[in-house]
Amino acid sequence: MAKTIAQINEKIKNGSVVVVTAEDFSKMAKQQPLSCLCEEVDIVTTATFGPMCSSGAIINFGHWSPGIRMEEITLNGVSAYEGLAAVDTYIGATSESKFDPTYGGANVIEDLISGKDVRLHARGKGTDCYPTKEIDTWVNKQTVNEFYLFNPRNAYQNYAAATNSTSRIKYTYMGSLLPRFSNITYSTSGELSPLLNDPYLRTIGLGTRIFLGGTQGYVVWNGTQFNMRRERNEMGIPKLPGATLAVIGDAKEMSTDFIRSAYYEKYGVSLFVGIGIPIPVLDEQMAKQLAICNDQIDTTILDYGQEGHPQVGSVTYAQLASGQVLLDGKPVKTAPLSSLAKAREIAQLLASWIQNKQFYLTEAVHTFPGDSFVKPLVKREGGVQ
Amino acid sequence: MKRRYALRFSPTLVEQPIVSKLARAYDVDINILNADVASGRGGKLIVELSGSQDNLDKSVTYLGSLGVLVSEMVKELLFNQDSCIHCGACTAVCSSKALCLNSEAKLSFDVSLCVVCGLCVHACPLRLFEVSQERGA
Repeated sequence: MAKTIAQINEKIKNGSVVVVTAEDFSKMAKQQPLSCLCEEVDIVTTATFGPMCSSGAIINFGHWSPGIRMEEITLNGVSAYEGLAAVDTYIGATSESKFDPTYGGANVIEDLISGKDVRLHARGKGTDCYPTKEIDTWVNKQTVNEFYLFNPRNAYQNYAAATNSTSRIKYTYMGSLLPRFSNITYSTSGELSPLLNDPYLRTIGLGTRIFLGGTQGYVVWNGTQFNMRRERNEMGIPKLPGATLAVIGDAKEMSTDFIRSAYYEKYGVSLFVGIGIPIPVLDEQMAKQLAICNDQIDTTILDYGQEGHPQVGSVTYAQLASGQVLLDGKPVKTAPLSSLAKAREIAQLLASWIQNKQFYLTEAVHTFPGDSFVKPLVKREGGVQ
Repeated sequence: MKRRYALRFSPTLVEQPIVSKLARAYDVDINILNADVASGRGGKLIVELSGSQDNLDKSVTYLGSLGVLVSEMVKELLFNQDSCIHCGACTAVCSSKALCLNSEAKLSFDVSLCVVCGLCVHACPLRLFEVSQERGA
């Protein structure tokens, strides 16, 4: 019998809710028929903890006296966006320090979350209403008004794996890729990953409450590069990067256990983001999607050594997770980039929040476009600037 | 056996003929690989000592008793394991399999397998690895 989110929330309230992680649900599905499972289990928790470059934070510093209209802003030497009124800013995770390329927006966010002081330097041209032209001070998460993460593209549904055909090591955001196809890296929590458990985003939409960085956050839009036109396998899983999520949450409440800065050699700074999404087992169809196993998730291997990253193979996550796959008949070592151990921790933590009545499910206010696709940036000449 | 040491001298120690005393008293052969020593300034010697293990150990004790700072030149990998998030990026480049994800998907480091190639130093996004050249003797 089909369930509603309101009914599941009622079960959370009266303490009878049954919550399991997506990995456990997939194991249970091998023992019991789906019709029983969707009766027995109410919520499946999914999670991921990986580097997500398209992340950042909104900060309101509070007004200086006499006022300044901040038109050039740095935090610990990292440039933050200056085009948001007088004392609002957005600091992107991949923005790099002028002094140290291994330190960037992700580090500033991590430092602020951990309670450290961060140096704020700002300049303005000076106006009648904002006469101050330059300030140099220190801020932390207690001194600022708002400090919340707003990540435009997180939780990629099925990121492609990477390898390198050239004769030189390639340092990429997919890690260190050894020469001549000597390794393959991949970034996913596989059968535990949120958007692989609800591949058509039936239960995930605008307003979906989630675990974000150690606190409760929300899905606020489809992520950028949201692509629903990818070819899918028989389980409905896109074979190349598909859907993404834009998420938001109060960074003051987050923990560096679940938000960590990262530096990829010769690439730059990124941010590890911990995301957990509870998926309601509404009916048997939902249970079928949630029962997905790593051997039912296909992905593509791309050659990061060549322009345009051409496809060089196709594998399942079970093969990638085994530590070795065959590429053109030759065994190649595989390695993950996102932390499965952390993703498991998040899925279990989210399940315990629900069991302890600290987290209730939400009905999406709006579902995301089912036919969105990704366009390239095309060169165009002429015109006047 | 042979071992390489870095010996650091204070300005006063530089005035003493320590190396020749060492050779005579402990029967060790001394090959100076690098020297940066000046009268009145102190300095550093990189030496290779050859002799029995007992004599090498005694030499180190003797040098220490004089006030020379002795460290053995050993390349080893230092790993700040407490900060590890178990992403697995280092395992992509570790061909000796010293760095592996265990059955719980957590990173394990088997120092006995490490060949100190240093590739993990650049592969770790949290920069938790460091190759150390010296170890206190």
